[in-house]
Amino acid sequence: MTTTPPAPDGAPEPVPAGPAFVDPLAGRPEPPALDAGGIVVRDVRRSFGQVHAVRSMTFHARPGEVTALIGPNGAGKTTLLLMLASLLAPDTGDIRIHGADPVRDPHGVRRAMGWMPDVLGTWRTLTPRQILTTVGRLHGMRAAEARARADELIVVARLDELANRASRVLSRGQQQRLGLARALVHRPSVLLLDEPAAGLDPTSRLQLRGLLRDFAAEGGTVLVSSHDLSELDEMADDAVFVDRGEVVGAERIVLARQAAREWRIRALDPRRLTLELSRIGVAFDRVRTVGDSAFVALDRDEHAAEILARLVGAGVPIIHFAPAVGEIERTYLGLAGDAPGAHRAGGRA
Amino acid sequence: MSAWFRMLRVVVGLELAQRVRSVAWYVLLGIVAVVVGGIVVILFVSLSGWQQDIGGAIFSTTIFLVMLVTSLVTPALSGGAINGDRDAGVLASTQVTQVTSMQLVLGKVLAAWIASLGFLAVCVPFMIGSALLGGLRLEAVALSIPILVLEIGVVSAIGVGLSGVIRKPILSTVVSYLVVATLSVGTLIGFGVGAVAATEEQQWPDIAWEYDEDAAGVTERCIETGTTYPQTVQRYDRVWLFLAANPYVIVADAIPPSFDQYGYPDDLFGQIAFGVRQAQIPQEPTTCADFSSSWEPDADQGREVFESTVPSWFAGLALHLALAAAAVWGAVATTRTPARTLAPGSRIA
Repeated sequence: MTTTPPAPDGAPEPVPAGPAFVDPLAGRPEPPALDAGGIVVRDVRRSFGQVHAVRSMTFHARPGEVTALIGPNGAGKTTLLLMLASLLAPDTGDIRIHGADPVRDPHGVRRAMGWMPDVLGTWRTLTPRQILTTVGRLHGMRAAEARARADELIVVARLDELANRASRVLSRGQQQRLGLARALVHRPSVLLLDEPAAGLDPTSRLQLRGLLRDFAAEGGTVLVSSHDLSELDEMADDAVFVDRGEVVGAERIVLARQAAREWRIRALDPRRLTLELSRIGVAFDRVRTVGDSAFVALDRDEHAAEILARLVGAGVPIIHFAPAVGEIERTYLGLAGDAPGAHRAGGRA
Repeated sequence: MSAWFRMLRVVVGLELAQRVRSVAWYVLLGIVAVVVGGIVVILFVSLSGWQQDIGGAIFSTTIFLVMLVTSLVTPALSGGAINGDRDAGVLASTQVTQVTSMQLVLGKVLAAWIASLGFLAVCVPFMIGSALLGGLRLEAVALSIPILVLEIGVVSAIGVGLSGVIRKPILSTVVSYLVVATLSVGTLIGFGVGAVAATEEQQWPDIAWEYDEDAAGVTERCIETGTTYPQTVQRYDRVWLFLAANPYVIVADAIPPSFDQYGYPDDLFGQIAFGVRQAQIPQEPTTCADFSSSWEPDADQGREVFESTVPSWFAGLALHLALAAAAVWGAVATTRTPARTLAPGSRIA
């Protein structure tokens, strides 16, 4: 094994918070207050017969931030989102969406919340313009207002040319854009998105990212569930990791972040780079080369800084030196690595 | 309140636009117009030799044809209204808006109702034609059309309601057809089988005739012998209530009969109602009293049957409306969100 196990006394060493994260141990150990705004989830449970889909989830997605919801398939993400979207009642626990309780005041939640489900159904014979107008009217808008809003969103979703054709002709990516527009019709302050980027072309991804960042910058709350971890790394301020129906505790996340992380190093002279790496004393089972890049598994950011300094000092012409995976992906892989029975994904050698 | 109905109208509009207003629906309308028109023309040609006004006969036939057609088509039009939307993933999209589950279900019922009324609408020309032939009574029109419209609504409500209660669209459509078949054919079978089961043997008094021959001629005299003989009697009067639940009987029974010169009802409504009313009268042994009056044919025989028996159409109609209300209530209960219980294996988004 190439990864270093935690110290024998079991006490994890504190690691400096990455750019996308606030150290979970340093901040907010208290459960969030119900009137904290954004999305508040406190000790929510939901089971279907014998299956405990959501065992215990507590987290807070703050207004003005994009929060990522990350976990393996079957971790309870979709069940959680259905509860947040006021479609499914939790067995126990409290949820507040923009201050409204989905069980007691579902209509208040629906006024404040825009939802984009993972399986995006659409009225196939209706045109995008009809769909957006109808959804606006279902949200209680007047006909003229709903039409104006539909015109606006058709531009945002770049569906101008298809606006008057039956929505069954839309491609997967276009359907996704229409779905996002549908979630925005009533100008919500909270967005729940389940795999919003699936099927989107790179341009649309960039646009989606910009749209969500702008939404958060204006004080909106965004909760994004996705498996595209590098995408989330680019746009999320905070992340909630879920596994087997529970939000992963701060301690496990700290441990996961201590798992070895791969750094990608490129130099103008690849042979000199590998030579110098071994001369510095990096164990050769920690280094693998792919093409002209060297991937080095390192336990600590300090080690990376030191290796970079030594390589540069030795005159290796470095042109790229960066973590091979983003912060969210590293944490996710670290969590997957310490799950019982799972292989260690963090330290490929 | 007006906002409530405005929302209902949006749901109806959406439903009509996405489900009903399809090419298949227009094709069906055309086929029905041609078939009903053909039958009416054949009827006109074959009845026109008779000496009476045949408007009533043609009108009543048209009403029953429309009832038959709508009972065959409406379950298909309404069958997948809710579970089909659930399968297509669009039900949840409407549930996260300001629409209540009552508005959602009632909107779908209304849309199916309106679509099925199209079949009545295409047959209106034949009804106007029958009115031009003369002999059509105003009360027949004024009662049969509202009841037909209500009955179509009942089938729509049962179809939509079952599509909410039963998870699979095909199964709910089949069950709606079975309900319709139970009411229109099953009641007849129930009546027939019930009559066989309710057969009993009675001791009927024997009567005999005595003939006295004298100068004035032969006088015949009825005498009661005092003996009895066993007679098998069908107790239709105990099972006629089956017929009260039959939609065709309901229309027929609701319309006051008109009689021809022989004392019999002169249209299909009256003839069916006459049959049902006669079934209410228990069979009785012939006594000498039956022969005491004159031998003149009784021109008021039909009228007497109607006057000595009870109308049942309102009971049948009330039963149908109760069935429709129960189906709608069931669908509203299963589409209420946030959902607490889910049928096994069902998805709510």
